[in-house]
Amino acid sequence: MKPGVEQVAGELARRLREEILPELTGFRANVAAMGAELMTMIAEQWDSAAANLVSENREFRGIVQRGSELLGDEALAAAAAGTDEDLRISALTAENDRLRAALTGLHARVEDTEGEAARALDTAIWAALRRSVEVRRVGSANF
Amino acid sequence: MKDITAELLADYLAGKMPELRDIRIEGLARLPMGASRETFRFDLVHTNAAGMPETIKVILRRDPPASNVDSDRAHEFAAYQAIYGHGIPVPRMLLLETDPAPFDGSISLAEDIRGFHNSEYQLQTPEWAGRLPHVAREMWSTMGRLAAVPVEKLDLSFTRPATRENTAAQELAYWTAYLDRHDIGAEPIIRAAIRRLERWQPVAEKLALVHGDFRAGNFLYDDEGNLRAVLDWEMAHCGDPLEDLAWSMTRTFSFGKNDKRSGLATHEEAVRIWEEASGLTADPPALAWWELFNCVKAQGIWNACAHVWMTGAGNEIIHAYAAWWLRNAQDKAALELMGHL
Repeated sequence: MKPGVEQVAGELARRLREEILPELTGFRANVAAMGAELMTMIAEQWDSAAANLVSENREFRGIVQRGSELLGDEALAAAAAGTDEDLRISALTAENDRLRAALTGLHARVEDTEGEAARALDTAIWAALRRSVEVRRVGSANF
Repeated sequence: MKDITAELLADYLAGKMPELRDIRIEGLARLPMGASRETFRFDLVHTNAAGMPETIKVILRRDPPASNVDSDRAHEFAAYQAIYGHGIPVPRMLLLETDPAPFDGSISLAEDIRGFHNSEYQLQTPEWAGRLPHVAREMWSTMGRLAAVPVEKLDLSFTRPATRENTAAQELAYWTAYLDRHDIGAEPIIRAAIRRLERWQPVAEKLALVHGDFRAGNFLYDDEGNLRAVLDWEMAHCGDPLEDLAWSMTRTFSFGKNDKRSGLATHEEAVRIWEEASGLTADPPALAWWELFNCVKAQGIWNACAHVWMTGAGNEIIHAYAAWWLRNAQDKAALELMGHL
């Protein structure tokens, strides 16, 4: 075992903010302040990043699969296929982006589709997007 | 990029301003202002025609090789010149150099209005709490007066033409294309917002010079909270003045992390001050359209910050910071405005 990223990045941010920043002025102080905030965000997101992406990817696949069934679209079924075997953040993020693109296209089509099933899927898409925003919330964000 | 040094500046200005003798540059320092341009401050010391020493306080802005907004020195310089003398306090422009050769990028020089504050964060400290209503009145009444300036009296040849009927669609098309050009991945929330905005657009009550980034942090204020100058006109354009009002109320600019927009006043208070000063009406559906539009515009800018890094075009910390700090909050703001939060 060794000190965790959250712990070390958090401490680096604290020292940057409390010990180094007061020694600086002007542009350099601003860079140090933003550097400290970035380190804080990294510390905040590090531990849960992979788990959140795996969970979100699973939910997005389910929605895209529902869309495939609603619209009878095999391409959507193909887009919903797959699993997150590569757990590197970069691989999970790339898969997340692919699924978000599929979700974006599906959402536009669902908006133009009549019927209760389409409305239910539309509601499910908004709920998934709301959960995504909640999970990704930055502690220091204004909103 | 070439370092901007006192020697480089003195040599350049001696050639550009031969009427000023014995030019010296003192106190040259880069300022922590803005994500889109480099900003420097200095004293231009010279001997005037009467043989007396004189000092001109100067702000220099330089176009960087990579930025998060599509604008340049010529555009902002022309915007300042257009509004100067029309009742909106702005610094006087001194010089524009569009040849990138002398400084590795175009530069502009402007009068440096010193001794005032511009921090949006300072306004959130307990010492300023009692003065916030006054600062709010100053900000939104100045914005309202800007909205009321007849565009016929301004030289807006520097900006894309607009009509009352087409400005909303035109701005939406511009910023959608901007998002496309700075694509950093799928945007399901912002794309849903764009689809909604495309279904209906408001007609502007009147055209105005829209500042484009009018919010706390982009004006100078004194110790009493009086607004002394409006800065950062690089996104200025002819359009619907509701765009500025809506931008100032974007949730990502709620610096107090509460319901006070721009960290200064509630939505309702801001609208009331703006309407009184402008003589215009902030039609609720139209204002709501511009508020959602500004989520598209803002996300375009935050994505451009990320794009700068992801394409290797630049590595300024402020661009990484803006992308990390703002993108999800902007999505959340769009969700709220679409009634899905």
